[in-house]
Amino acid sequence: MDIKRIKFERTGGFAGIRFAADFELDDLPKDQAHQIIELLDEMDFDELPEHIRGNQQVADGFNYSITVITEKRQQMVTTSDTAAPKKMEPLLEILTKIAKQQARNKK
Amino acid sequence: MHNHNHRHPINCILPPHVLNNIATHGSASQKSLAISTLKVTEQMRGQRRAMADFTAAAFRVQAVGGGKERIVYDAKNGSTLPGTIVRNEGDGPVADVAVNEAYDGSGTTYDLYKNIYGRDSIDNNGMRLDSTVHYKKEYDNAFWDGEQMVYGDGDGELFNRFTIAIDVISHELTHGVTQFEAKLVYSQQPGALNESMSDVFGSLVKQYSLDQTADQADWLIGAGLLAAGVNGVALRSMKAPGTAYDDPVLGKDPQPGHMNDYVNTPSDNGGVHINSGIPNHAFYVVANQIGGKAWEKAGQIWYVTLRDKLTSSSNFQACANQTFTVAGALFGAGSLEQQAVKFGWSEVGIDVEGSGTPTPTPTPGDGCFGSLLKLIGAAPK
Repeated sequence: MDIKRIKFERTGGFAGIRFAADFELDDLPKDQAHQIIELLDEMDFDELPEHIRGNQQVADGFNYSITVITEKRQQMVTTSDTAAPKKMEPLLEILTKIAKQQARNKK
Repeated sequence: MHNHNHRHPINCILPPHVLNNIATHGSASQKSLAISTLKVTEQMRGQRRAMADFTAAAFRVQAVGGGKERIVYDAKNGSTLPGTIVRNEGDGPVADVAVNEAYDGSGTTYDLYKNIYGRDSIDNNGMRLDSTVHYKKEYDNAFWDGEQMVYGDGDGELFNRFTIAIDVISHELTHGVTQFEAKLVYSQQPGALNESMSDVFGSLVKQYSLDQTADQADWLIGAGLLAAGVNGVALRSMKAPGTAYDDPVLGKDPQPGHMNDYVNTPSDNGGVHINSGIPNHAFYVVANQIGGKAWEKAGQIWYVTLRDKLTSSSNFQACANQTFTVAGALFGAGSLEQQAVKFGWSEVGIDVEGSGTPTPTPTPGDGCFGSLLKLIGAAPK
């Protein structure tokens, strides 16, 4: 994937506080950008369905939205804490950290 | 022309859990249709409920011999649930504070439900209370997954560990109670009511543990949860919705305390953690109007309403009407308690339907007794 830009949003949770990130991959440190590309490749992100939902009725769980934008296409995947594939968990952690950092930078 | 098509087309095909999913995850029009369909389904649910509850009970883990039984697990910062057992019922405290908080908090929650409302655990049938701590890494959340409570450690920068506040624990456990009773759909107003019920009993468990009266309580949800340096006292305030935090990183507490400020949003399952501020504040007003220990009368009214009156699609108006009815049944028609319920809802912009004359507005500073005098007809015209 020739990734240009990533948008991320985390909503819900006990606190109900939204965190979001929107960044060009080139603006990240090279190691972090490389790690994100590897994680997306490992989970075959471009093969994932638009919505990944679990069977459980979870109260206070986080909802996530990841949008990956390349030169040719834009793909969004939404999921939740208990429905997200194991392989996606490290990516969600990284994107959450970036979102919090962006929130701090807006101070 | 005869119309024999009384059955809703979706209702004929889709089971309630699918409708619940649509109401939670669908588009705006799908959510609306699913909730309206659930209302029709509710009318037929009563006769099926006994069998459904019986079937579900057969598969749940029950406490051996009934009574309080807790298990605390450690996910060891992974996501596999429930994790490794670290404390069983009757075991002494361990070195891990989160484990002890989950154990003690779920125990106190069990005690309130059992000692005050006569309820035997989440399902009223001795269901074991399972909690998992140290879920994922730096996970700043707690949730109820339909079977157990799950707690993260927080990121340490914005949030502390989620077992730190007993009302968070009782909030999550109450989601289980709601799941077995009203089954409020986790979307829009039913979802906000679901959240509010968890906040109400979350706060009541905290007050019960501290033996506080309504006027002594802080009415905060998640006090102590925000990390040092964050500008805020908690995550929500039932006393003054919208004032719990105002921080450059977290933003401002978005909760409204009145229907005039109701937030329409597709985010957060239709704002379930936002608009819960409205019924939260109604409960706060009711509890303070009645006075004394909030779990005794106001809590009883809300508990019976949750257990017996609300359905999966109930909205704020339905909750207002039903709490008024329940207050009349428990304490008498026209009782101070019933009038307090009417007043509490009117304070958030919801007039109880079929309750007679409009609620008089108390003069600020009159205090509890003065307000009640006005409510029962002694107020100046």
